[in-house]
This record gives sequence, C-alpha cells and structure tokens, in this order.
Amino acid sequence: MGILETFGFTWGKFTAQVFIILIVYAILKKFAFGPVLAMLEERRRRIADGEANLEKIREQMETAEASVQGMLDKANADADRLITEAKESAESVREQKTQDAIAEAGQIIAKANEAAKLEHEQLMAELKHDFGRLVIDTTGKVTGKILDESDQERINQETAGQVAL
Amino acid sequence: MQIQLIDQTFSHAILAAGGINAPHIPNMGSLSNSIVMAIIVTVVILLFTRMATRKMALVPDGKQNFVEFVIEFLYGQVEGIVGEKVAPRVFPLLATLFVFILSANWSGLIPGVGTIGFAEGVKNLSIDPHDHSFVPLFRPATADFNMTFALAAVFMMLWVGITIKELGVIGFFKHVFAPKGGLSGGLWWALLPIFMFVGVIEIISIMFRPVTLSFRLVGNVYAGETLLHSMSGIGEVMGLEGIWAFVSSVVVPLPFYFMEILVGLIQAIVFTLLCAVYVQLSTEHDEEGHEEGGH
Repeated sequence: MGILETFGFTWGKFTAQVFIILIVYAILKKFAFGPVLAMLEERRRRIADGEANLEKIREQMETAEASVQGMLDKANADADRLITEAKESAESVREQKTQDAIAEAGQIIAKANEAAKLEHEQLMAELKHDFGRLVIDTTGKVTGKILDESDQERINQETAGQVAL
Repeated sequence: MQIQLIDQTFSHAILAAGGINAPHIPNMGSLSNSIVMAIIVTVVILLFTRMATRKMALVPDGKQNFVEFVIEFLYGQVEGIVGEKVAPRVFPLLATLFVFILSANWSGLIPGVGTIGFAEGVKNLSIDPHDHSFVPLFRPATADFNMTFALAAVFMMLWVGITIKELGVIGFFKHVFAPKGGLSGGLWWALLPIFMFVGVIEIISIMFRPVTLSFRLVGNVYAGETLLHSMSGIGEVMGLEGIWAFVSSVVVPLPFYFMEILVGLIQAIVFTLLCAVYVQLSTEHDEEGHEEGGH
C-alpha cells in the first residue's frame, strides 16, 4: 500500500471515485446504451422487415405478372379465335349475299327481258294494227272502193302476215 | 545556467494540478478537486445523454444521431474483440469506461482547469501564481490515481464476474493452471507442472492488471497536465515579463494542446481496448471448451 499512498491513494477518495463511476455507468446504461441499442435494434428489425416485405412484394409482383401474362395470352388466343370465326362468318355471309345478289339480278334481268318482250309484242301488235289500217286506208283511196268488213278483215290478215315476215 | 533553467521548469511542473496527490479543496472537507471534476463530467454526460435520448426517433436528429454513431461504433469494436455472445454483457461498462475516461481526459484541456484555484493568503479564487501552496479548484479526474485505480477496480470486478459466470470457479482455475491444447494421458501429466508454473505467473499478471491500467492512465494524463502547465509558464521561467509572458503562455502550449487531445483519445482507447482483450482472453477458452465438449 505504501507505493499507492505515494501516488495519493486514500480509501475515502477511492471509494468516492468508485461510486462516481458506478453512477456514470448506471446513467449511461439507463439513458444512453439501453435506449440507443434498443433503437438500433428496432431500426435493424424494421429494415429486415422492410427487406422481407420487399421480397414478398416482389414475389407477389412476379405472380401477378405471370397471372396477367396468362390472362393476356388467353385473351389473345380468344381474340384470334373470334377474329378467325368472324372472318369465316363474314366470308360465308358475303358468299351468301353474293349468291342472293346474283339470283336477284338474274330474276330482275329475266323480268326485264319478259317486260321488254311483252312491250315488244304489244308494240308489234299496235304496229300491225296501225299498218293494217294504213294499208286499208291506202287501198281504199287507191281503188276508190269502199271496203266492207270482210275486205278489211282480209287485208288486215294479209298485211299482218306480210309484216310478220 | 541551462541546468538551472531545467530545474526551475521541473520544479514548476511538479506544481501542475497541485502535485500527484489530488489535494482537498480548502474549507470543503474531504472533497478533492478531482472529485469535483469527476462530478462535473458526470453531470455533463448525464445532461448530454438525456438531451440526446429524451425524444428518441426512428429518424434521428443531430444529438441522437451523434450518440447513436458513437454507441454503434463502440459496440462494433467491442463485439469484434469479445465476440457476439459476451458483447451485450460487457459493452455497457466498457463503453462507460471509454466515454468517461475520454471526457475526463479532455476536461483537463478546458481553460481554467488546473489554473484557477486557491492560493495561500488569497481569500477568493485566483489564477495559479506558480506557488507550491496553490490548490486548483478543478483537476482532470483521470489525473488522480484514485480515479484511475477506481476505474481499473470496477473493471476487474466485472472481469471476475464474467469470467466466473462463463467458466465457473473450478473452470477458471482449470483455465489458468491446467494444460491446454487438448492434451491427454501421460503428456498431460508431464506438462502439468509447467502449466501450473505458468498459471502462477498468469495469476500474478492478472493481479497486476489494475495496477498497470491505472498507472498507465494516470501517468499519461498527469504528465500531459504537467507538460501544459510547464509550457504555459515557461515564458516567465525564461525571464519574459508583461505582454510577452502572456503571449508565450498562450502560444507555447498550443501545439501541446493538440497533442494532449490525441493523447486523451489514445489513452481512453488503450484502457478500453485492454479491458476488452482481458475479457476476450478469459472467455475465448470457454468457447473452445464448449466446442470441444460439443465434439
């Protein structure tokens, strides 16, 4: 103890300093190390949780993307199928309409031909009638004879026969 | 002439902080100036930590950020030395030792510490008149052997507690005296006397740890105080007067102030680092023992 006393060691001061150190220790442990280490741990935990959540979100995103891609593929396939079906249907309808149009056109042409034929025949009949009357009038004036009913009938028939030729 | 100057300088230096014995403050009973400074340092540490950690937030502000940085850094260092298992138990005390020693060391650099006090025949406080009877009001706590010895003693109490907890009493003696390195059979018995002799040396070494820790710290800090005192008074010793004595007392110690900042930090690191290493040495074998037991 002699050498320690040379350097000023006394039990009283030593004990007082030990108490001071223990007080500082208690203060720092309670107000600094405890809360700060807890805060650091909390922050570390939050970061770890955040990373885990991020990973989970990434996996969910991948799953969702895969799901969306599947839906898109299915929708594309459906769309292709519908387009193909629509094309086929449209082709069929177009063919049907074309055939209908052709048939209708044929009918219209036939009707037109028939109408034209009838008109032609009617015109020819009128022409024959007018021509016959013209021949009767001309014959009457040339011959100076009043033609009776039988003469007119005969001349008409002969003229109609001539005109038909 | 030169010898006389050196003699004068050293005789002046011995006065630094009132001599190696921390003197009692006049009319204050057994309260020494180093205890006063230790109390002030304690209060400052308390106030700062309370301000920094009163409203802890996940996103820290300046003071909290600083305290977190220091504590996280120290924890990393302690954990790196003593290991993950022991770190939570020893960190609070080791960090306390570091913070307190650093604060106490640097407190000696505050103007007035060691230079304002009680001179003989002067009723009120006065500046150090370079008189042998001068008693400074403040003295760096770590420039008092009682404080450094108390720091070492508190650490040794912790060390004994942790070592006993880790190894047990018998385990501790086996750790110190029994042959190591997985020896068995005849070789174990053959080497036993040598290891027992080494164990005795280790026990002596352990007993000297508080002495070496405390003397190293007090020696460095008190030497620093003495150096600053000597440098600040060297102008007067060399015969300068008036303004020149004042200028020399400011300019000459300035480089040594920066050196003392470094010394204060280094001594705090050395003390704490050695304590951590002592803990690691006593717990490392325990872990090996567990591993061997596990195999």
